[in-house]
Amino acid sequence: MSKNSFINEKRPHDSASKHVSGYADYTDDISEPKGTLHGAIGWSKKSHAIIKKMDLREVWKSEGVISVVGYKDIPGRNDVGSVFDGDPIFPTNKVEYYGQPLFAVAAVSTELARKAVLKAKVIYKTLKPIITIKEALKKKKFVLKGIKIRRGNPTKAIRRSKNYLKGNFTTGSQEHFYLEGQVAFVIPKEDKDLLVYSSTQHPSETQQIIAKMLNQKSNSITVLVRRIGGGFGGKETNFMTSSICSLLAHKTKRPVKLRLDRDDDIIITGKRHDFYSEYEVGFNNLGIIEGLKIKLASRCGISPDLSGAINGRAILHIDNAYYLPNVQVQNYLCKTNTASSTAFRGFGGNQGMMAIENIVDNISRYLHKDPSQIRKNNFYKKNKKNITHYGMKIEDNVIQEIFNKLLKKSNYKKRYSKIKKFNSKNKYLKKGIAITPVKFGISFTTTHLNQAGALVHIYTDGSVHLNHGGVEMGQGTNTKIAQLVANELGLSFEKIKISSTNTSKVPNTSASAASSTTDLNGAAALDAVFKIKKNLEKFIKKKYNIRNIKIFYEKGLIKFNKRSFKFETIIKEAYLNRISLSSSGFYSTPKIYFSKETFSGRPFLYFCYGAAVTEVTIDTFTGENIVERVDILHDAGKAINPALELGQIEGGFVQGQGWLTIEEVNWKDNGQITTVSPSTYKIPAVSDMPKKFNVEIFKQGKNKENVINKAKTTGEPPLMLAMSVFYAIKDAIASVGKYKKTPILDAPATPEKILMSLNELKNRFNYNRH
Amino acid sequence: MTSSVIKFVWNNKILKINNPDPNETLLNFIRLKIKKTGTKEGCAEGGCGACTVVLVELKKNNLTYKTVNACISFVTILQGKQLIIVEDLVNNNGSLHPVQKAMIDYHGSQCGFCTPGFVMSLFAMQKNYSSYNNENIKDSISGNLCRCTGYRPIIDAAKSLNNKSHSDKFVKNKKKIINLLKKIKPENININNRSKKYFAPRTISELKKIIKDYPNSKFLSGGTDLSLIVTKERKDINNIISLNSINELNFIEKKNEYIIVGASTSLREFELFIKKYYSDFNVILNRYGSVQIRNVGTIAGNIATASPIGDTLPLLLSLDAKVVLQSLNKKTILPIKNFFVSYRKTKLKKRQFIHSIIIPIFKKNIFKAYKISKRIDDDISSVCASFNLEIKNKKIKSIKIAYGGMAPIPKRATNCEKILINKNISKENIEKAKKILEKDFKPISDMRASKNYRMKIAKNLLMKCFMEINDNKLLRLN
Repeated sequence: MSKNSFINEKRPHDSASKHVSGYADYTDDISEPKGTLHGAIGWSKKSHAIIKKMDLREVWKSEGVISVVGYKDIPGRNDVGSVFDGDPIFPTNKVEYYGQPLFAVAAVSTELARKAVLKAKVIYKTLKPIITIKEALKKKKFVLKGIKIRRGNPTKAIRRSKNYLKGNFTTGSQEHFYLEGQVAFVIPKEDKDLLVYSSTQHPSETQQIIAKMLNQKSNSITVLVRRIGGGFGGKETNFMTSSICSLLAHKTKRPVKLRLDRDDDIIITGKRHDFYSEYEVGFNNLGIIEGLKIKLASRCGISPDLSGAINGRAILHIDNAYYLPNVQVQNYLCKTNTASSTAFRGFGGNQGMMAIENIVDNISRYLHKDPSQIRKNNFYKKNKKNITHYGMKIEDNVIQEIFNKLLKKSNYKKRYSKIKKFNSKNKYLKKGIAITPVKFGISFTTTHLNQAGALVHIYTDGSVHLNHGGVEMGQGTNTKIAQLVANELGLSFEKIKISSTNTSKVPNTSASAASSTTDLNGAAALDAVFKIKKNLEKFIKKKYNIRNIKIFYEKGLIKFNKRSFKFETIIKEAYLNRISLSSSGFYSTPKIYFSKETFSGRPFLYFCYGAAVTEVTIDTFTGENIVERVDILHDAGKAINPALELGQIEGGFVQGQGWLTIEEVNWKDNGQITTVSPSTYKIPAVSDMPKKFNVEIFKQGKNKENVINKAKTTGEPPLMLAMSVFYAIKDAIASVGKYKKTPILDAPATPEKILMSLNELKNRFNYNRH
Repeated sequence: MTSSVIKFVWNNKILKINNPDPNETLLNFIRLKIKKTGTKEGCAEGGCGACTVVLVELKKNNLTYKTVNACISFVTILQGKQLIIVEDLVNNNGSLHPVQKAMIDYHGSQCGFCTPGFVMSLFAMQKNYSSYNNENIKDSISGNLCRCTGYRPIIDAAKSLNNKSHSDKFVKNKKKIINLLKKIKPENININNRSKKYFAPRTISELKKIIKDYPNSKFLSGGTDLSLIVTKERKDINNIISLNSINELNFIEKKNEYIIVGASTSLREFELFIKKYYSDFNVILNRYGSVQIRNVGTIAGNIATASPIGDTLPLLLSLDAKVVLQSLNKKTILPIKNFFVSYRKTKLKKRQFIHSIIIPIFKKNIFKAYKISKRIDDDISSVCASFNLEIKNKKIKSIKIAYGGMAPIPKRATNCEKILINKNISKENIEKAKKILEKDFKPISDMRASKNYRMKIAKNLLMKCFMEINDNKLLRLN
């Protein structure tokens, strides 16, 4: 066994020194060959309209313009939809959302291209748009038929329950706001081949979609991604930029770079699904849910995109950490005249979890009980009440341990009574506290996506070239996989060269998504290493005439039989003896299966668990608030790199906090999006960070399943820890009704929503008192 | 004494740009002309900080380090300054600057795209403060957005600099840089590039001459709003007259019972000066925008832009400030409450510019100001409210109330003032005053706030002001 020299090591991100010195190249930083053109997209100013006439003469004439492309220039498939059609690159006669691309320009500079697209004269015949979920529900406009799932007999269970509540709840949309906007750079090669640099989480599908658009084979398109400046799901299926850029390069036969500016990026590309739910719940006096019926509707925008899978994950997470013996979910995937809603960290899971957390919170307030107790009462148990509503047995449940430990560690009980005292003394500033659990399923719920490939070469000087299908977007997957490979070969980390994700090295990859990138690609990389080591073993045994001896790789040495050789020496010898020092690797996740028809099976290999306690203060004059303290305990299994996992946990939390508090996407009634840049759309800034931020990785954590290093991913799950912020705010609001009434609060809890909720509660409270 | 060449120091050398396009941004110049790509474009409106660079100026034989957003600065801003970009922090032998090292050691980068901007903000912080606490760290990076980390590791990296030496290659090269900057003689800049002109006069008399010849020019006083015409609207600005090089307009002083601020004084300088007199003014300015914005933005720019949500305007209104307008042959003094005409329209005439602002010092008065926005840092107000009142024997002797975000212009609440004057601070009177705000204002709904919410907080802030006075304590978060 090689020594775990690089595992569990808090190593900096492999590109950190380049990040801080400005030498990390992103797509827009790649130096351009002479003659490179720059693109810009002209988009619709109507959300629903027939294009009566599109006059592009002034665009063509505009300074610096070399070419203009529209739908007629597309030789093949005019659609970038990944699973389903519905996302035309340029619509032929009807626009369906404000911001939908209509045409594109290639000019000698970005500035001139962007000026040119403004000169188009488009005459529309306006149609009535559908913008909200409620309108779509009323008009029965859906992108896909929603499914209905049921376990037990919820109607009967609710009728028999001691207590009953009903209500509705909304969670908001969210703009990804990756700091690096969508960008592609395409260089035409011989035979109509294209070399595509793209800021994408999904190189393989970028390749396929461009190939189909150009009516070429996939083998003529090569996609490279060294790193992207944040993705968060927003670069998983947004193939519009790379497709249009490729079309421009195809037509002009010149290199083209297309970088969306921030406003265009926000206007053109899809965001998180907002969800609206209506529920009925029956529960006993302990607050234990006996029956639940819930309608779950989401704003999907103009097309299916990934909405089916996202809504599916919402249904799969409608339980969060709670056992629901009788449950029915009816799902609606609403079609609206807005950009097609798409993947975003959490992928529907967070929306489902928020819906159930709201119900559990309301049950607690109805029963006048501490919400933490009602949450505990509903938890899945270890040996009974451990089957989910989709029939999967939970075998790795640690939520009670984490929850109890955190309650104690955060001093929750004592602080809650202190807070109540504070609130009785202070009329205008009010405090609130909440603890919420997280249970999040890991694997793509579309089973076939759970596969990955890698390619590892060892050169004759002993240096190692590592390539795999995952995309580095800040999560540190390259660092962690290089740590695993270095460790397995007993080499120093620096010996491992991390290289761009490249469709010509590793084919048919899945998106870097579903928190699975390192789990899948790390395992594939190790598979490649194992294969090379097998070749080496065979050679060593033959050459040194040994049998049944273990070979050790450590500290740059290969040791066996009390002998020790430099790694480079053996590699050189192996080469001279014609031994292959290169291998591909492959991995597919075991155990999982899922039937979409019966909505049952084992969609997840394992679950991630965590919990967070948040304390807030709100200003009852204005609804402004501040996050005073956050305590987190999160299960990362046996972390490969605890420093990077900590970064994911904290960053995920703050991103979730933004989603549930200040981030608000706004559309006008006519479908025009009005929050299009940092001046109108606010992601958390430094002062939003919790004043006290205590984050701990659950030390007892260990993945029960056969996952590399027994680690657990930290990609998406920590986002949901931020639910505690929302329920702490709700708790603070409840204090103005002396905790006797349940506040009505939808997400995001902006200062405005908080103030309105306070006023509504005060009125209700006073009305009932008189 | 007039030149069309922009001269600046970069990498220990004087660089010259002959007759540049006056609409070219500093960011494009850095990325496309000197071909250094560490400085990133995140938003092209000064809202994310990914393009942060440091400009160094010679002041009284010393160097001042200021962060600016390269995306909304025109390249002409470089005149007479030293430019420092993220790549410049690396030593010649490849070793990294202490700020860069700290960001690595504390895992301050994830996707890395915002990182160069943070490095530059922290670098300027290191130059401007001798020690680093939560307050000055947060202020220094409040204009830098990070979507990955949640900021904690970046703050820890900043704090770790307390234990590091302040010495770096810039300290070592200080004399050399001072000498180079001295070599760039102050000149009037006069650029004529195709149809676009740019003037940066150094004196008021020179300015008047240009105004006379080019009455349709746009004034640049910081330019954080003006540049958006180019970066967002994608239009050209044909004639720009920069007020930033006129020393006569760059001053701030106390004269008798007044504070007088020159038109091209930066908000940053102003906020430090005003703190002593009106601490709430300083608090609001801290949240006005990022350091990058406040380093170049000016109070005159804020007034001339006349935005209904300009954060200094309600404060100046309640303080009864006066605007000194200069035309070719005379100065006029106008009370600020008469200055705003309608949405983004002012009394400023052609061939006229703002010379200075006069702010009275009310020694006996209580001054309070509140800004309500979705986000604490670098956000635009839903409502901004300002109260200036004198209370004698529990009676309101004088009162001036002004609001931003409640009308097409920043505006005094005159009806509300009338109802309160000479009254006691009683629950009943406050309720009446709250009610009458509905007569003063008819706010609108937009993406920041609904009209209902605006009216509610306008009323509640009035109440909050009086509660704070009554209880004699601040009822604020934090």
